[in-house]
Amino acid sequence: MKLGKEEIQKLVLGGLMVIGVIYCYFTLLLGPLSRRQAATRKGIEDLGPMIAAAKAQIARTANVERAAPANMEATRQVTSMIPDGSPVAWFPPRVGDFFKQHGLEKSTTRLAGEIVEKEMVGFRRMSWSIDLPKVAFVPFATAVASLENEEPLLEISGLQIESGRDDLGSQRALLTVSNYVKQ
Amino acid sequence: MSLHLNLYHEVIKAKALKRRDPLKLTMYALSAVVAGFAGYYVLQAVKLHSLNSELATVKAEFDKLDPASKAAKAREVELSVKLKAGNLLVKKVENRFYWAPLLEQIMQVVPREVQVTRFVGDVSGEGPRRCALSIDGLSAGEDARHVAETLRTAIAEKISPQHKNVTSKFRMLEDGIEMAMLDGKQVPTATFAINVEFTSGEEPAPEPTRRKR
Repeated sequence: MKLGKEEIQKLVLGGLMVIGVIYCYFTLLLGPLSRRQAATRKGIEDLGPMIAAAKAQIARTANVERAAPANMEATRQVTSMIPDGSPVAWFPPRVGDFFKQHGLEKSTTRLAGEIVEKEMVGFRRMSWSIDLPKVAFVPFATAVASLENEEPLLEISGLQIESGRDDLGSQRALLTVSNYVKQ
Repeated sequence: MSLHLNLYHEVIKAKALKRRDPLKLTMYALSAVVAGFAGYYVLQAVKLHSLNSELATVKAEFDKLDPASKAAKAREVELSVKLKAGNLLVKKVENRFYWAPLLEQIMQVVPREVQVTRFVGDVSGEGPRRCALSIDGLSAGEDARHVAETLRTAIAEKISPQHKNVTSKFRMLEDGIEMAMLDGKQVPTATFAINVEFTSGEEPAPEPTRRKR
C-alpha cells in the first residue's frame, strides 16, 4: 500500500498526538500521583519505628516504675535516718549526746564546710570537726566503733589522737567527719 | 460471461480511503490507550487514597503516643536520677572506711615497751581509699631502736591481710635523751615517727557498656 502525502501528514500528526498524550499523562498525572504515593509510603514507614520506639519507651518506663519502689527501699531507709531541719541545729547536739553516752563528757562539734557532690541529687555532704579534749584511748576507740556502727551516713575522714604533755593517761582527740544530709 | 461494470468505483474508493484514514485509526488507538491510562490512573488514585487513610491512622496513633512517650522519658530520667543518687548513697555507706578495726589492730601490735604519743590518720579518695597514718611515740628497752623497728614491721604485717599496698616507713628514729623505768630497771629510750600508707576497698566495677548493633 502506498501512502499519499496527506496520509503521511495525518500519520505524523497522529504520532505527535500519541507522544503528547503519553508525555502529558506521565508528567502531569501519573508522575505527581506516584510521587505522592512514595511520599505517603515513606511517611508511613518513617512513623513505624517512631511508634515502636514510643511504645518501647512507655514500656521501659513502666518497668522502671514497677521496680522503683523495691530499688528505692534502701534509699528510703537511709533517708529516714536524716532528721529534718538545718544540720547545724541537730548534728552537733546529736554528736555531743552520743559521746556523753560513751562517757566522754566534753566534745565540741563545728561545721567545717560542705563537700559538693553533683551526682548525689537530693543530698548534701557536710564536713565537721569534732574536738574531744580529754579522752582515754580505749573508751574513745569503743566510742568510735559505736559511732561508725550507729551512724551509717557518717564517715570519719581524719582522726588525730595526741597524748597530753602533763597527763599521759589522757589524750586529746580530733575527728574530721562528713555526713550526708537532705538537700 | 457477462460484462460487469462498476459505476460506483469512485464512491467505493472514497469509502475505502475513509475507512483506513490514518488519523481516524490513530484516534481509535489513542482512545484505547487513553482509556487504559485512565483506568490505571484511577487504580493508582484509589491506592493513594488507601495509603493516605493508613498514614492518617498511623499519624493519629503516633500523635497519641508521642506525648505519652515524652512524659515517660522525663519520668524515666527523673526516676533514674533518684535511683542513681540512692544507689550511690547506699554504695558510699557500704564502702565507708572503718577506723575502729584499724585502731584495734594497732593497739594489738603496740608492745608494753612502746608509748604512742601521737596518732594521726587520714583517708581520702573514692572507691579504693588511700589511707595515711602517722604514728609518733617513744620506745624503751635495752635496744630501744630495735623495739621501734619491731613495731614498724608488726604494724605492716598486721594491716597487710586486710589492706593493699601497705608501706610502713620510719620518718624519724632517734635515741632518746631520757631513760625510762621498765620492770624496775632504767632502760634507754628512742623516739620514733612511723608513716604507714595503704589502700583500702575495691576498685569500682566498670559500668556495663551497651553493645552497638
